[in-house]
Amino acid sequence: MITTIGTYLPPWAGRTGRRAGPDEDAVTLAVAAGRLALGAATGQVVGRVVLISRELPLLEGGNSAALTAGLGLPRGVRVVEQLGGAAATLDALLESPVATLVIGADAGEPAGAAAAVVGAGGLDVRYVSRINRSLPVRSRDRAGGFHDYEDPRLLRDRGALASLAELGHPKLDVVAGVGGREAGDLSSGSPLDLPTVGASSVLFALAGAAFSPGAVLAAVDQASVTVVELDGGHVAVRRDERAARPAPPLTLTPGPPIPVSLSAYDRAFRAKLGWRASTDADTGELRFPPRPHGAVRDAAGEVVLVDLPRRGEVYTSSTVNVPVPGKATPYQLVIVELDGIGVRALASTTGTAAAVAIGAPGEMVLRRIEIRSGIPDYGYAFRPDQEITV
Amino acid sequence: MRRCAIVGAGMTRFAEHFDKGMKDLLPEALDECLRSVDKGAAKADIQAAWFGQLQTSDGFPSGVLADSCDLLDIPVTRVENACATGNDALRNAVFAVGSGAFDVVLVIGADKIRESSARTTFWEWAGMTRDMAWDYPLGLIAPANFALHVQRYLHESPATREHMAMVAVKNHRHALNNPKAQLRFEISVEKVLGAPIVADPFGLYDCTPQSDGAAALLVVAEDRVDRFTDTPVWVRGVGLGLDRVMHQHKRDMTTFPATVRAARQAFTMAGITPDQVDVAEVHDCFSGVEIMSYEDLGFADRFQAYRLVEEGATSVGGRIPVNPSGGLKAKGHPPGATGVAQCVEIVEQLRGEAATQVDGARLGIAHNIGGPTAVSAVSVLSIDKG
Repeated sequence: MITTIGTYLPPWAGRTGRRAGPDEDAVTLAVAAGRLALGAATGQVVGRVVLISRELPLLEGGNSAALTAGLGLPRGVRVVEQLGGAAATLDALLESPVATLVIGADAGEPAGAAAAVVGAGGLDVRYVSRINRSLPVRSRDRAGGFHDYEDPRLLRDRGALASLAELGHPKLDVVAGVGGREAGDLSSGSPLDLPTVGASSVLFALAGAAFSPGAVLAAVDQASVTVVELDGGHVAVRRDERAARPAPPLTLTPGPPIPVSLSAYDRAFRAKLGWRASTDADTGELRFPPRPHGAVRDAAGEVVLVDLPRRGEVYTSSTVNVPVPGKATPYQLVIVELDGIGVRALASTTGTAAAVAIGAPGEMVLRRIEIRSGIPDYGYAFRPDQEITV
Repeated sequence: MRRCAIVGAGMTRFAEHFDKGMKDLLPEALDECLRSVDKGAAKADIQAAWFGQLQTSDGFPSGVLADSCDLLDIPVTRVENACATGNDALRNAVFAVGSGAFDVVLVIGADKIRESSARTTFWEWAGMTRDMAWDYPLGLIAPANFALHVQRYLHESPATREHMAMVAVKNHRHALNNPKAQLRFEISVEKVLGAPIVADPFGLYDCTPQSDGAAALLVVAEDRVDRFTDTPVWVRGVGLGLDRVMHQHKRDMTTFPATVRAARQAFTMAGITPDQVDVAEVHDCFSGVEIMSYEDLGFADRFQAYRLVEEGATSVGGRIPVNPSGGLKAKGHPPGATGVAQCVEIVEQLRGEAATQVDGARLGIAHNIGGPTAVSAVSVLSIDKG
């Protein structure tokens, strides 16, 4: 049963929905939604994570570590990285044991992510039927380029409609994984206006309304469909869905690949992505980034890292306007005084179209700070509480 | 420790020297330095050299100096200490002469920023000062590095962007007569404030240009001074201060503790107080950094530096003229050469030979703050042996 759902939408308006920011990808979107689903104190109850997306950034491995660090979960948690869309997410919900976090992340437009904790109580989802068919009206090549067949009626008639007819479900209470017009054709009543059409759409649908017992929901991936029945139970929903606004115009100056040291990346990883500090053994003060010299260590000699607060206010800032090769400009750098512990962090800002001023409050959120020589470099960015009006 | 003095000082013009490499600039600065020695000096007199250079733009620095200047029979030590390199090269040479190891040594500094493509320069130089995992990917370019300090300083002090602009205007005016300066034109406060923003609060005219150049000093022991000149400039004090490297670890960004530490060492060694300084070359890579440095060097009380600017005290003709050469802002800033060139200017000031002369100057200082604002060097020079 689904106990809680967390949803996250990037604030940037795109052509067909929200657009991921330049510092967002499937991992950061998944973390944003996943943290909401887990809540503040329930992180430790999850023993398994399933991430469904069609835009997994590190296909050769490494997503899981960034994901669990961002979620604040132990490194031993089982993570399933699954390629898929709405039907795959629904299948994952059906198959997951208690204490699983299922996350759907859509980094392409329309972008968004939603996550659900499968637990002992809440909204029950019961399997009804499934069919796998092929009608690849959209495909993606090895370099990530899309190929669209561009025949919406074919997709509707020979895709979802044909599959549902074969399953004996001509009309549905809720449908996810298709656009608004197609959803109307497939739904018995007014379709839910879902912000995404990919892996996260099912979870947005489950979070979107109270369902009467026996309601039928279908998740569609082109011509493949999974159908479930809902029991009308309650699910707690936490949303991070700020109003859409135009993305600020950015200029990318061509440049050489930004160098990366994977040794340095590896040394920093646990503190940098886990948002943790070392403790000075003499004074007890926290040091961030961690300072190995004089730090409190465990019996094995490893520096002990402690969690940092994720809220703070801007101590100082500067917006870089000049072209920087390989980076999109303008960008803003801030030093954030974290609440109540005398620790400051240097970060870029995110989720704001305008510069934030000294004293502005906000939170630290996982973002893809840069892509360095092809490697996503994750870290924390400062997200002001309010969009600043220039 | 033996006293030592500067008896020769010379430098190339600071500019975008696309037509000159390190192997051209070093001999040029050395030749001018030797020519400036009143009673004459030859390469054969030099017993050791300290070479300040940040970037190895033309290959292995010590070898390039020895080879290009035909100094093959002496030891050459390369010094790299971020933007404090030049004054730190002098500091090391002073200790070598003071110890009695050498009697006549060369201090030379050089860099060529305009040697690689504009697209690659940034990441090359950033790699020398940024933490590779935490800071490097953020794009903490040099202006932003200092802007984070100055933005907070402006927040806490009465100083404003107008005061910063007044500093830029002053230093451009000072550079007008300096044949070695890169930017020899006047600007107005309005022009500074109206210029495109590089990294706020710095507009284009708040920032130093990118420069190539070299500068050299001949440093000798007190018992050899008479052989070279009757008007030596004594190195009365040297200091080098450090601070936490990462901004995140700095408690108060409205001050540069590295400068405070370097100045304390140098002033103590010289036995002077800040109010005895007649002329100063202060690290003004960005206009607001000069203002903050007035306080760290002891020229002004905390958050009172703006008064010096308003009063015109730091203009030539004022109470404590700062950057009569034009400073980094207008003279230019090839980092390895910068501190040495500051000393070239102070030597000329104290000998009454400067292009923009401070009347009656007898004691001057040179100051650098650099890297991620984590290192500073201060040198105290005087026409009086003390």
